[in-house]
Amino acid sequence: MTEETKGVTREGWLLLIATLRLQVRGLSMGAGVGLAWTLGKVAVPQLTRLAIDKGIEKDGSLIFWTMLILAAATVAGFFAACRRYFAFRESRLTESYLRERLFAQIQGLHVGFHDKAQTGQLMSRSSSDLQQVQGFVVNIPIFVSQITMVLGVVVILFFSDPILAAVSLAPLPFINVSARRFSNKIHPAVLAVQQEQAQLANVVEETVSGVRVIKGFGAEGVQLAKLQTEADDIRRESMKAAYIRSRFLPAIDLLPSLGLVAVLGLGGHRVITGDMTLGGLVAFNTYLTMLIWPMRNIGMTIAFGQRAASALLRVNEILSEEPAIKDPVKPRQLPKAGLAQPTGALRFNNVRFGYDIGHTDVRVLEGLTLEVQPGESVAIVGATGSGKSTITRLLLRFYDPQTGSIELDGIDLRELRLSELRRSVGVVFEDTLLFHDTVSSNIAFAKPGIDSDVVVRAAKLAGAHEFIMQLPEKYDTVLGERGFSLSGGQRQRIAIARAIVADPRVLVLDDATSAVDPTKEHEIRDALATVMRGRTTLVIAHRPATIELADRAVLLDEGVIAASGSHHELLETNEKYREVLAAMATPKVVE
Amino acid sequence: MYPMDAVGGKDKLNRSQTRVVLMRSIRMAGEFRRQALWAMILVTVSTLCTLAGPVLVRHGIDAGIKAKDERVLNFTVVAYLVVTTLAYVVGRAQYVSLNSAGEGFLRILRVKVFAQLQRQSMAFFDREKAGVLVARMTADIESMAELVQWGLMQFLSAFLLLFLAFFLLLSLSWQLTLITLIVFPFLIAASVKFQRESSKAYLEVREKVGANLSALQEGITGVRVIQAYAREDEQIRRFEESNRALFRSHMHSVKVSTWYFGLIEFAGIASSALIIGIGGWLVHRGTVSLGTVVAFVLLLANLFDPVQQLSQLYNTLQSAAAALHKLFGILDATPDVDEVTSPTELPATGDVVVNNITFSYAAGSRPALENVNLTLTAGTRLALVGPTGAGKSTLAKLMARLYDPQSGSVSFGGVDLRQASMEDLRRRIVVIPQEGFLFDGSVRDNLLIAKPTATETELLRALDNIGLRERFEALPEGMDTQVRERGSRLSAGERQLVALSRAALVDPAVLVLDEATSNLDPGTEMLVEAALEKLMIGRSVIVVAHRLSTVQRADKIAVVADARISEIGTHDELIALNGHYALLASTWNKTQPQ
Ligand SMILES: Nc1ncnc2c1ncn2[C@@H]1O[C@H](COP(=O)(O)OP(=O)(O)OP(=O)(O)O)[C@@H](O)[C@H]1O
Ligand SMILES: Nc1ncnc2c1ncn2[C@@H]1O[C@H](COP(=O)(O)OP(=O)(O)OP(=O)(O)O)[C@@H](O)[C@H]1O
Ligand SMILES: [Mg+2]
Ligand SMILES: [Mg+2]
Repeated sequence: MTEETKGVTREGWLLLIATLRLQVRGLSMGAGVGLAWTLGKVAVPQLTRLAIDKGIEKDGSLIFWTMLILAAATVAGFFAACRRYFAFRESRLTESYLRERLFAQIQGLHVGFHDKAQTGQLMSRSSSDLQQVQGFVVNIPIFVSQITMVLGVVVILFFSDPILAAVSLAPLPFINVSARRFSNKIHPAVLAVQQEQAQLANVVEETVSGVRVIKGFGAEGVQLAKLQTEADDIRRESMKAAYIRSRFLPAIDLLPSLGLVAVLGLGGHRVITGDMTLGGLVAFNTYLTMLIWPMRNIGMTIAFGQRAASALLRVNEILSEEPAIKDPVKPRQLPKAGLAQPTGALRFNNVRFGYDIGHTDVRVLEGLTLEVQPGESVAIVGATGSGKSTITRLLLRFYDPQTGSIELDGIDLRELRLSELRRSVGVVFEDTLLFHDTVSSNIAFAKPGIDSDVVVRAAKLAGAHEFIMQLPEKYDTVLGERGFSLSGGQRQRIAIARAIVADPRVLVLDDATSAVDPTKEHEIRDALATVMRGRTTLVIAHRPATIELADRAVLLDEGVIAASGSHHELLETNEKYREVLAAMATPKVVE
Repeated sequence: MYPMDAVGGKDKLNRSQTRVVLMRSIRMAGEFRRQALWAMILVTVSTLCTLAGPVLVRHGIDAGIKAKDERVLNFTVVAYLVVTTLAYVVGRAQYVSLNSAGEGFLRILRVKVFAQLQRQSMAFFDREKAGVLVARMTADIESMAELVQWGLMQFLSAFLLLFLAFFLLLSLSWQLTLITLIVFPFLIAASVKFQRESSKAYLEVREKVGANLSALQEGITGVRVIQAYAREDEQIRRFEESNRALFRSHMHSVKVSTWYFGLIEFAGIASSALIIGIGGWLVHRGTVSLGTVVAFVLLLANLFDPVQQLSQLYNTLQSAAAALHKLFGILDATPDVDEVTSPTELPATGDVVVNNITFSYAAGSRPALENVNLTLTAGTRLALVGPTGAGKSTLAKLMARLYDPQSGSVSFGGVDLRQASMEDLRRRIVVIPQEGFLFDGSVRDNLLIAKPTATETELLRALDNIGLRERFEALPEGMDTQVRERGSRLSAGERQLVALSRAALVDPAVLVLDEATSNLDPGTEMLVEAALEKLMIGRSVIVVAHRLSTVQRADKIAVVADARISEIGTHDELIALNGHYALLASTWNKTQPQ
């Protein structure tokens, strides 16, 4: 182990201890009952010895000894059960508690974090890493009682026959050492297997979710070849692990048997010469067998602990990640909407922004300035990749601008509580993500449990009511995993209804009608006009029909607002605007 | 997505099902059967070695120590040593052979199931949850790996141990065996009860784990929408709910097993108390020897451990059998869209004829297409327009035979698509679906999915052809830019450009573009379309589009409304018809600049 990894491991252990501090009571209970078990268990061979020597060989009080063994059995049985219960309860508590913290943290982390994190990785933090931690904690009470047992037994053996004890115990430390070495060797091997399994899972996952593309291009053969490679890798790595097991496990079984052989040989001669009783021999034998499992387990538990510590470190990496976007210390309140005071004024002040991709020079917005009056609707027009959706994300504070500021009703977004800001801004995203839930829960997403009238009204406004009523369970139809069983346009309309229910101060429609056909768009247009009335709205659109919904259009180009005016004005005066909308080249439709 | 709800509570097998699964697995193991047999022999030998220990101890005590015969004692000690060493050697061999047989079997299983999975129709993928399918290929097979690694071996040796130990005890002393047997009915009854309860509890835990994982997954993949609607608290509350349910089911399964483990611990010691008590009395009467009593006490462990192991392993075995059953279910599912055994070759070009098809996604549900007829003459262009949910994408999918119609047929060059081989079909007809899926990887990887064998020059030439090479190269890392999961690193339009460019790599006779340009700004769209023009020369093309600029350039336009084709003809004909299309055109026209 290098110095560095040692430091890391220490940090992991400290974390582990800190985590367990909350459960000191439960764990001590576990350890306590574990000690009681040890007592019962260790007494048995002694009692057996006495029973054989005093009861059977000497015709003594056989029944008395038998009853005593039965009593020990009861003690051992009862406390073994208790120990198991405490061990599992505490370990599951740790796991459960950490998982809740992890989830809450994941929900609160800024989008920039999620951009870089992989779903699979976050999932395994919460599943396999926490399992490692659980696997260690569950062993703590057993570990404690086994250590005391080993100590107790060793003392007893040395007292009863030091020489025999020394000889027969000689192989035992090797068990411990081998178990630890085994555990340390098998761990990377098992990890390698898991890694290969994860890669195979990736192939399957992408094949299943991209099946339309794969089938569309007949790429099944490619995927099968990929899978075969992964299956071969799994097999290879598994065999490596099997070889490690074959090297260690039979050896770990062999070592204690050597001790037993020694007891029979050496002890047998001592009984013949009369230096030892037969009962003593049997007791010795029993004690030795009693040590095998604890010795093995102690070694493994230590290795488990190391693994749990490093798993916890990984978990902690997420837990200690400071959200880059968070509530201000002294949040300000948005002004209340009143008759005299219309709300929803937006102002972008010289905003510069680029995504964190390791190239600081790649900027999307280069000093964008834009002012939107309360209740005004503005269409944002720009080429693909010009940064329209980026504006939306900044408005939601998914990211903060590098310089400049954005204000809502005169207050810098960074001075607002996130929940207040996000409740005030409702966005229909360009790619529609629906949740695996009913239609009405999906629509009422922003306000769970809201009246069904509101849901229906929103659906009607979004032009979704009609087709929803034709679904098998109407509003109670559970949408597929990614909402796939609806057509593209239908999904988009559910998303529009979702934003309407939120009843935000500022509504943003990001290319929200791209899959809605023009005739229908006409209808939705009227409905949207109702929703947009008196509400600040940003419309990102490519189609003139949608752009015309807005009071004014602005052209986003090279990271700044390059022009502003009515759709027709811009068409007439701005070359770039015409280019983006392909207005020049389209021949007029003859009627 | 993530593997979830693998084998669940409903999946327990009855005995005859289990037998079928077993027989089939043995057949499937094929070349690995001999290895497996060899492994069984090794397990038997090593079990025998394990048992020999206490027997030798008894011999040593009775014939050596009590008879004060040092020679016998020494001999026994040497024999003990030999047997132990043998156990070690055999043990090593047993791990290797058992694992190589098992891993070989699992490899066959993985590849077979996956190949079969890919053969399934789109309808299958609509039906099945993606997470479940992934679970089949991962968690379910991995649960068997555990069995392969040590479970089977332990099961076999525990079983052998139990039987051999029993007969051994019987041969040592029937009286003491009888005493031991007093405990056994209780023990077995307890084990059966435990096995039942714990397997139920275990399946319950697995279900809860699945639910918890899907809650987690939704929280991660949906995090942007959740944050945008300030729903974190509600989402956290729901997650905690599922997490606590999981905790409770864990605790339930612990409670179910706790008493059993206590009982086993008690029974093990208590029965040795009985042996000593009653056995001691029998020694006094001279019925049995002291060595026998001692051997009994030592052997008892070999009786109790296996019972305990067996009842735990039984669960593992059962869930493995249930998993295998499900996997065989996939292997047996004949794809609803399957290849014929002797396919007809498709001609290089030809008309696509849709002949009176009716299709619904699920039996009994409203048809998505009803009595649709359509002819696409070779080398011409057809546009599909119509309201949302009318069935345009569905029609496009049927043309690529992603689904088969319930009645009617689709043919290419006079050959029914059902008579063609899939490979042939995919070469002739290529669909760019509405949901252009990007894989986690570079832009290049995503393009190459269309033609994995393409060289870099081929790729660049194809991009040059559609005028998009500069666009991709302008990305920060050019073609090596990692697009991240589902292409989240790119803008919506950029994603569409990648999906669209895949078409430039292939050389089909029929190209189906389902709203392939809907997220592009009209300027880019126009450039792309001009480029696609080149691509379309000599090909038949179907475009699904909402923008009339695109539609207008088609030779023929079909309006899909309410699962039917309501209008079909050229632009001028349809305008003259003054129906849905005319309305569409005028809406569009009104807002179009002069
Ligand atoms: N998460 C991200 N990380 C890094 N770069 C990004 C990310 N999201 C977008 N980009 C890049 O930023 C630029 C602007 O993207 P944005 O999504 O704002 O474009 P857009 O104007 O909405 O385009 P479209 O019309 O295609 O939706 C694009 O070049 C895109 O590649
Ligand atoms: N996989 C599916 N399973 C069940 N029903 C589906 C599935 N896909 C689509 N549908 C339903 O079939 C009908 C036709 O859908 P389709 O996707 O063909 O519409 P579309 O005309 O392409 O619409 P859009 O313009 O919105 O893309 C819709 O009512 C839709 O809800
Ligand atoms: Mg966008
Ligand atoms: Mg569609």
